[in-house]
Amino acid sequence: MRIFDPHIHMTSRTTDDYERMAAAGVRALVEPAFWLGQPRTNPGSFTDYFDALIGWEPFRASQYGIAHHCTIALNPKEANDPRCREVLAVLPRYLAKDRVVAVGETGYDSMTPEEDEVFAAQLQLAREHGLPALVHTPHRDKVVGTRRSLDVVKESGIDPGLVVLDHLNEPTVGEVAGSGCWMGFSIYPDTKMSPDRMVAILREYGLERMLVNSAADWGKSDPLLTLRTGEAMLAAGFSDDDVDRVLWRNPVEFYGQSGRLDLDEADTGATFAGNSILRGGS
Amino acid sequence: MSLRFGYGTNGFANHRLADALDVIAELGYAGVALTLDHAHLDPYDPDVKDQVARTARLLAERELAVVVETGARYLLDPRRKHAPTFLHDDAARRVDFLKRAIDIAAGLNAEAVSFWAGVRPTHVSAEVAWQLLVEGCAEVTAYAAGRGVAAGFEPEPGMLVETLADWDRLREQVGPDLKLTLDIGHCRANEPEDVAECVRIAGPHLVNVQIDDMRRGVHEHLEFGDGEIDFPPVLRALAGTGYRGLVAVELPRHSHAAPDVAARSLSFLRAAQWLGDALDRLAADPAAIAVLLPAARRGVGRAAAEDARVRLLHAAAPGRDEAAELYRYGDNDEKRAVLLACPDPDLLRDALRSNDTRLVAAALGPGARDLPDAEWRQGVLKSVFMGLPLSGVDGLAQRADAELGRMLAALRREREAAGRTMPDDAVDLLERLH
Repeated sequence: MRIFDPHIHMTSRTTDDYERMAAAGVRALVEPAFWLGQPRTNPGSFTDYFDALIGWEPFRASQYGIAHHCTIALNPKEANDPRCREVLAVLPRYLAKDRVVAVGETGYDSMTPEEDEVFAAQLQLAREHGLPALVHTPHRDKVVGTRRSLDVVKESGIDPGLVVLDHLNEPTVGEVAGSGCWMGFSIYPDTKMSPDRMVAILREYGLERMLVNSAADWGKSDPLLTLRTGEAMLAAGFSDDDVDRVLWRNPVEFYGQSGRLDLDEADTGATFAGNSILRGGS
Repeated sequence: MSLRFGYGTNGFANHRLADALDVIAELGYAGVALTLDHAHLDPYDPDVKDQVARTARLLAERELAVVVETGARYLLDPRRKHAPTFLHDDAARRVDFLKRAIDIAAGLNAEAVSFWAGVRPTHVSAEVAWQLLVEGCAEVTAYAAGRGVAAGFEPEPGMLVETLADWDRLREQVGPDLKLTLDIGHCRANEPEDVAECVRIAGPHLVNVQIDDMRRGVHEHLEFGDGEIDFPPVLRALAGTGYRGLVAVELPRHSHAAPDVAARSLSFLRAAQWLGDALDRLAADPAAIAVLLPAARRGVGRAAAEDARVRLLHAAAPGRDEAAELYRYGDNDEKRAVLLACPDPDLLRDALRSNDTRLVAAALGPGARDLPDAEWRQGVLKSVFMGLPLSGVDGLAQRADAELGRMLAALRREREAAGRTMPDDAVDLLERLH
């Protein structure tokens, strides 16, 4: 089984995770820019983070044979902080980078006017840079947030085929299925979705425009739940080809629209900017 | 609007036509310049009509556009290259051949048919030659107009019409149906204007474009990069004329390695086009460097990216603050380009603090002249420590002094104490300084 995790926050994970992921068949991933569990207070804090997403983290992934890409945006939660919003001005510099394959995560957290504004502005950035957009749907009031996100997508004029609404579940998937947008599902140990619930959704809605991710981050999460979902699909009677479509070909198709996916085997050396992941080494 | 690149089948002379079309299409070309020749759609074959229908189908299946070229060397006369031409006693055979080519072009729905004057035979006076040429061209042009085929006349070095000025004079006498085929390489070989300016002058009359590299005064079709033409502004100028026809690579002496040459050529042209467009954008909006610098590798490929970035930076000429921002937000490839193109001492210092050998090497280039001696010596010492070759240090022979010698000697003692060696070039320098 080859796996492309279209949403995972590796900055928060250890090399043990990379090792387990590689062993499980993960060959590629996309790491969206998001919040770090604790508020940032200035744009420089974001840009250092973005630099890691396009520099150190792809290097770490390459040491395990995993192709790392990222998405760049001001996340909805921190869009509410005027000290953070200044980062919008430097986003174009990052959206032009080689391994940046989408604008994201954008969308809603609490559906404030500030979030409206930043969400709409970032969809325009996606259009200007010819990039897909990764839309985070809110944890609270999710159905309304999903509907409203679809409205903003529609108003922006972006091709819905370039947009994924992520963290969907049973109450929200129906809203997105007919919109032309892609549907993203984060499989979590306890919350969001489970592998079996995911299989039920795939049975009902089919495999087209479906993305399955672990969204593993600094919280309680599991980078191997993509694999577990693939196994649950097989157990439920889906074919190997179906699993390959959902866990590999679909994310390749979605992010491939950026023209920037580079899935060739990592040709990076043993160091990044002179530094290695071997503690005690050079 | 993107240019449409094609490849000349005379550069695939060792391939069957169908195979050549396969390779050219697979590489991603938009069309072919089809030179009618003994092995490629011979107009004198008894079954030429069937061949035309078959070729039209092959082209359509591969979604290739086509122009028809008539420069075959020994198709009409097995002993005399290119003969007979409009200027020979038996010019009627040339005219007959060109009419057949026009019929074939019409059958292929070709965008143009291309032809040239020929070299004036020594026994024919200049006046008579010109008269023969005008008459022949008038007949061919009228025939082409009747068949709805664009007639592109190509100035060719060494022939009776060899420059744009010659072509202009011919057109005045033949009439406006005489259009223009331009070979970009020829512009470098024998036109008075620079190549981009030639393209602008030619623009309104173009129906066909050939492209190749060339040197001044030498009519030899060279692979891109082997001649003297700076292609990015030329391609930009060509797109700027509004020309939408094929731009077909013309390398008739490279058939022995056709698939590789064709692959390299298309990569080169796409990169040159990206760079030409980027330079044009910077001319209007220098601030666009912020998004063009990171995108350069995608535009021109990894191998050419650094040169392209340096060129973009020279074109944008960022002030000190913007250069610092480009460096700050750049990945290490972008940072290197900024160090090479805009070597501000503060940026050099940042690079010398890094552990990245490429940044350290770039910081010790010509820009390091403005660093104080103490910092420069530390930079050289660090580069030795990191194992960088000293040949990359700019002005080393002039600037290396006794203090640097002392520092290197100390490093050697430390290395020896640890059972390690110094690189040979550092030992040589050390011994020279003592």
